[in-house]
Amino acid sequence: MFLIKVADDSRLLSRITVATEDDFELLTENRYFFDWKAEQEYEIYKLTIQDRNDILGLVSFQRMPEEYRIHIRLLTVSRENRGREKNYQNIAANLLTYVAKEAVKDFAGLACVSLKPKSEIVQHYISKYGMNVTGTTLSIEIKEILELIQRYDKV
Amino acid sequence: MTKSNTKRILKSEYPDFGVDSRYSSDEQKRKDGKQLLKSRLEKLESLPNNQIVKAKLLQLKFRIEEYLKEPVIQEQNAFSHFLSNYVDTLYDRRNKFAKDLNITPVVLSQILNNHRKPKEEFLLKLVLHSQIAYANVSQFSHKTWFEVYYHQKISDTLASESKWLPKIKKEVSIKNSELAVIHAD
Repeated sequence: MFLIKVADDSRLLSRITVATEDDFELLTENRYFFDWKAEQEYEIYKLTIQDRNDILGLVSFQRMPEEYRIHIRLLTVSRENRGREKNYQNIAANLLTYVAKEAVKDFAGLACVSLKPKSEIVQHYISKYGMNVTGTTLSIEIKEILELIQRYDKV
Repeated sequence: MTKSNTKRILKSEYPDFGVDSRYSSDEQKRKDGKQLLKSRLEKLESLPNNQIVKAKLLQLKFRIEEYLKEPVIQEQNAFSHFLSNYVDTLYDRRNKFAKDLNITPVVLSQILNNHRKPKEEFLLKLVLHSQIAYANVSQFSHKTWFEVYYHQKISDTLASESKWLPKIKKEVSIKNSELAVIHAD
């Protein structure tokens, strides 16, 4: 997967790996918006540009094999990558695609990724990622997951 | 930063930078999960077969990628395991795959059951077949099957070191090389 550097539209390969013990010292709420240390009992992955160490985004999630789905708990980009002044595009999309790939790896055609965002950003996830709405839960199932992977999982 | 501050930032900014999607209670998680599962099961009934096949092909690809990242000496017979998975995803009968590769069902069966090592020609046919099968699914490197095959070969070789090393050790030295003197020191 790759990110787009807004300044010159260049493509940079991204890398998503498990957040390590050392990373948590750097994961301040000021830059990454949430208390990531409190999430340590769940799987946490970080996004960097390949061959660089700076963490540009994070996601934590919970696998729920009995329901053939993965539920995203927290997802964020770093402070300097939010809004119109962002440095890189596609950070959130890359993280979401990574989780979708994990769901396919575990559950194949039954795969599902769910989210339960606050109301003000629901529409964004529906229009950008084709998410389905069930009650207050947003989800992508295999149809949308295949589209997402085809769109973002490229090198 | 307090929780309320975090919420304020989330509200006032563009949506594409973060989401707090944690359940507020186990009860809510259970309730939402049940509702979602019901809705998904209804949709699954009308899921086209080609999407199921695509999903299985992707699952295989991701599992192979994961296997290749692992250190050696892992799963034995990985090549035949992944190959069986590939064939069974695309065909209801394995002899149909043999026919598409212009090999005999016996040769295929021997490879799948680890009674015969795949020849280079077989691997090349498999690479080409996979390129076609994955064309509308995802990128699938032409190196993948070779990597799986050699990854397994390295694993097998290292795993059986105690069997082959004593015999080979007796036959190998560097006493006739330029390094012999240094080595003797």
